[in-house]
Formats: sequence, structure tokens, C-alpha cells
Amino acid sequence: MNTKIIAVTGGKGGTGKTLIAVNFAVMFKNLNKKVLLIDCDVDNPNTYLLLGGKLENPKEVPFFLPEFNNDKCTKCGLCSKNCIAHAILQVKDQYPIPMLTLCSGCKLCYKICPDNAIEPSSKVIGWTYETRIRNLDLWVGELKVGEARSAAIIEKLIENMERELEINPNKYDIIILDTAPGAHCDVEKSLSKADYVICVTEPTPFGALDLRRIMELINLLGKTTKTIINRSSLLGNKEVFMENLNEDGISILGDIPLDKDIVNSYAKGVPIMDNDAKFDINGKGYLAFLENFKNLRQWINFHGET
Amino acid sequence: MDKFSWRNVIKMSEVFKIGIVSGKGGVGKTSITASLGYLAKIDPDIKGVILLDCDVDAPNLALLFKPKGDILVKDLYTCFKAQFLEEKCVHCKKCIDEKYCEFNALKWNDENQVPIIDYLSCEGCGACAYLCPEKAFSIETVKSGAIKSYTTINDIPLIYGETILGATTSGKTVSDCKNFAEKINETVSAQLAIIDGPPGIGCPVIATISGLDYILAIVEPTPSALHDVIRVIGVANQFQIPFGIIVNKADLESEFQDKFKQYILETKYDIIGRIPFDFSVAQSISNAQPVVEYAPNSKASTAIKEIYENIKKKIINA
Repeated sequence: MNTKIIAVTGGKGGTGKTLIAVNFAVMFKNLNKKVLLIDCDVDNPNTYLLLGGKLENPKEVPFFLPEFNNDKCTKCGLCSKNCIAHAILQVKDQYPIPMLTLCSGCKLCYKICPDNAIEPSSKVIGWTYETRIRNLDLWVGELKVGEARSAAIIEKLIENMERELEINPNKYDIIILDTAPGAHCDVEKSLSKADYVICVTEPTPFGALDLRRIMELINLLGKTTKTIINRSSLLGNKEVFMENLNEDGISILGDIPLDKDIVNSYAKGVPIMDNDAKFDINGKGYLAFLENFKNLRQWINFHGET
Repeated sequence: MDKFSWRNVIKMSEVFKIGIVSGKGGVGKTSITASLGYLAKIDPDIKGVILLDCDVDAPNLALLFKPKGDILVKDLYTCFKAQFLEEKCVHCKKCIDEKYCEFNALKWNDENQVPIIDYLSCEGCGACAYLCPEKAFSIETVKSGAIKSYTTINDIPLIYGETILGATTSGKTVSDCKNFAEKINETVSAQLAIIDGPPGIGCPVIATISGLDYILAIVEPTPSALHDVIRVIGVANQFQIPFGIIVNKADLESEFQDKFKQYILETKYDIIGRIPFDFSVAQSISNAQPVVEYAPNSKASTAIKEIYENIKKKIINA
């Protein structure tokens, strides 16, 4: 069986992406499936908090750092002239000064310096972690506070995932990617390798607007997608909200109402759907998760088996 | 107590800039920005307020303020992308073999023996255009987003940025949005700017908070919201910008409350206020109004009004 890769996204922040990614991962695990959960929200990785675990085995993620050797530099200005990101400041007849926060890491300066005065050094911009919590393999990317280049950490995670799939094609049945909010390059990179994209939204005008923006990105990437409406009972407008989505051609996977057990599971760091969690199996949240999971399995089998 | 005058507090030319961030998304940044903006507008002590939405991926602030007139749209062309000029290509494949592109945006098409540019991965750095001996790549400016602005029905100038998907320039769009606000303010001369920030701690957040006078960090009493706000406070500290904390949904019933309160106590964070959970907040969003306007006597509104008074004191002492 081929590994199925499912990404969870949604545009708006705080709609329940991580909650849903974690609990779906747990439910696949409950079925004795081999599951890898990858936290691609590297600005604010929360999966391990919801699983009640710790981050282990940090690996540094390096990023290109041009080091200028003024002994070799002839102040020719070629590097600063060709740096589109304006990351190299040079006053005439002075040595160039790197503005590292603007550097895109394209390495052009290092490649073109006629005097070999630029060395390709590196700095740490974050970490990746590979750990195992509740019999789930969990990979987490984490951006170092104060650094901006979060996309480079997601690239690292995706690169690791592709390498793993190449070396061990049967290691995982399911890979679930939890993405950042928004619709920027971090999200785009996280979605790029997914077979299925789940959007999580909430029944407010904020949720609706941001969902439509993320849908544009998903369509641009040519991905197949379904939407979950979380906190669907918030305003008593569930039916109207769903109808509007339907009218816009947005396919719905299911909904999850407000539920006390979900809040408690979140605060405790014990996923509501974990076998050992001992939450009320007749609770509204629990039942909704079962229903969504059933729909998910139907969906991905339908698309996966040819 | 002396009634404070803005003239004594702020130089006429200067705008006091408050940014609202949280790290985690969905903890109430936009609702709180909208309410504080509304309160500043109706406060006779304040000589004009201007609102900015720098969450350029998901600009929602405008949903809470109906426009009075037209929405002004200014397209942004601050994004670069490489373009392949097939007629110049001699199929040498150096672009691939010598790895011109550090972003894996160049792939080789074996059939036609030409490179293909992955538009979304391309950062527009110009390396391929410079390095190709045949000059078979050019760098073009493309539309990266737009800045929209209007005056709300309650006469607040509102400015928000909107990225074009795939343009990979959220941080730049934020800076453009802030620069545009400065320009608009030359005519409206507001003395207070309130900025709704994006979630996260990366590029767009750094672009949002640089140059601010004060940061409001929103948190909820949950492990993930606390974890994320600590990270965004780390960024605020690196920029040496003073900050205060607002605890939203402060009365959430959960087993984490004790730990949360203990942590906040130990850090000695400056707590600007606590907002209880209140359905009227979600209702106000549905009704497209700030909660202090929609339900001025609700629990949440009462708390936000207190917060507003606390922030006002901060500004006087700044």
C-alpha cells in the first residue's frame, strides 16, 4: 500500500488544525496503522503539547550565511549590485556590509565574487525533532525566536519525509502534516506534497473569508480537498454556513460541535480520541470525531485505490 | 486627577503605534484590535486613530468595519520571478548541473532539454539570470498583492494589505502596508495607530512589530496559546519593544488554569487585562461590528473598556 499523505490547513488561525491533525493521527494509530505526524507550523509547533510529550533529538537547521573576508575583497561592488534582496549594503569605496535579516540564501554573492572573498558559512535558524509519543512517530520543526526564514525549516521536514519514503516506502501507511495558519509560502510548501488536504474552519465571517483564500491556494496547487467546520454549534448558524460553502463548491467532510471534553483534552495534553484517554465515548465531540474519521477513510480510499 | 492632553504626551508629528500579536492564531487579535480602535475613536481625549491590518494572509479586520465610501486599491509590484527565454537556451544544462537555484525552482525537462521554472518555489533572487552564460533567464516584476484602504462608517481610516497567493512576499507586503499608512496619516494626522498583527513569529510578524512603540500580546489559558505567546514575546524582547499581556477567555474552565496563573505570576508579566469568555464576541463578528459597539454592556465589552483605559495610561507614561 502506498503511503497516503494528508495535510491539515485552513487559513484562519486557531480553528482547530492541530486538534484535528493530532486526533486523526491517533485514530489511525488506534487501527494499528503506521502513522507519522509532521508539525509544519514551525513558528508555533503545538502538536507535542496536545499529545502531552516532549521534543527530543534536536537537529540544527543551518542557513546560508555569507562571510566577508575583507583581506581578499577588492570593493568591486559586484555582490551588492546583484543582490536583489538588498541584503548587501555597500557605500562606494567601502567594504560591503551584509544585512543578514534580508538575505534569501540564494548564494549568488558567494558564487560570483571574483576575488573569492565571500565564504559560505552558516547559522542555525531552527531545529527539527524526531520523537515518539503515544506510539506515534512525530517530527516537529521549530523556528528559532528572532529568525524569519521559517520556510527553510519546512523544506527540511519535507526533504526528510521524501527521503524516508524513498528509503523505506513501507514504513508508514499514513503521514499527516499539520500546517501553519495563513496562505503564505510556509503553508504552500507544507501542502505541496500532500495527496489530500483537509481545511478546518469555523462558522464565522472570519473563518469563511480565510477559507476562501486558502481554497485559492489549494486550487492553484491542484490538490483535492474537503473542509471540516469546527465549533459548528458556536452561533447556531451551522446549516446556513454549510449551505454557503456548498454553493461555492466547497466539499464538506464533516463538523465538530463545541464540546467540554475537547477543551479538557486540549488543556491536559491527552488527545480525546486516544484509546487510553477515557473520555466519554458518547460525548458530542467524541462522536463527531468518529463520524469525521469515517468520512475521511471513505474519502481517501475512494481516491487512493485504482 | 489631571485630564491628560495628547499635546503634552506625544510630539505632534509622531504616531503612537500599538501592535497586537499572539503567536497562536485565533485567540482574539482582530476582535480586540477592532474594539480598541472603536473606543479610541469615540474617546474625546484621542486626536484621531488609524487602524492597520498586517495579517496580509488573512485580513479580517475590515469585516468588522463597514466602509463609508469607496475602497481604494493600490496594487503592489514588489515581487520578482524568473522567466525562461527559450530562444536563448543552448540546452547546456549548466543551470541544473551547477545548481544555480538554491530554492529547487529549476527542474530539467528531459524531453525538450530545457529547464522548467517552478513558479511557486522561485524567490526571484536573480541567480539564474546572472549565472546563465546565454542569458536565457530574465527577472520580472510581478504583482505581489494590494493595499486596500477606506474610511469606516464611524470615520476611522482603515488600511489592510492582501498578498497574492504564491507571491512569497508576506513580509514585504506588511512593510508596504505600514509605509502606506504613514503616507495616509500625513493627511489624517491620527495620533494613535493600532495594528492587527499576523499569527506566528516569523517574517511577517517581525515586519509588523519593527518600529512599534508598544505591543499587546494576547494569550488564552491553554498550553499551546501560552507556549506561542512566550515565543512572540521573545521576538518583542529582541526588538526591545515594551509589551503587555491580555488574557482572553480568561475564565475558561480547564485543568491548565492553575499552571497558567502560576506561570504568569512568576514571569511578572504586565497584565493589561483579562477578558472573560462571552458569546457576544462571536455574535459581534457575525454582525460585523466590534463587540464594544455591538454589545457595549456585555462582560467582554466591560473588560475591554478597562483594558483600553490601562493602555491609555501606558501611553501617557511612555
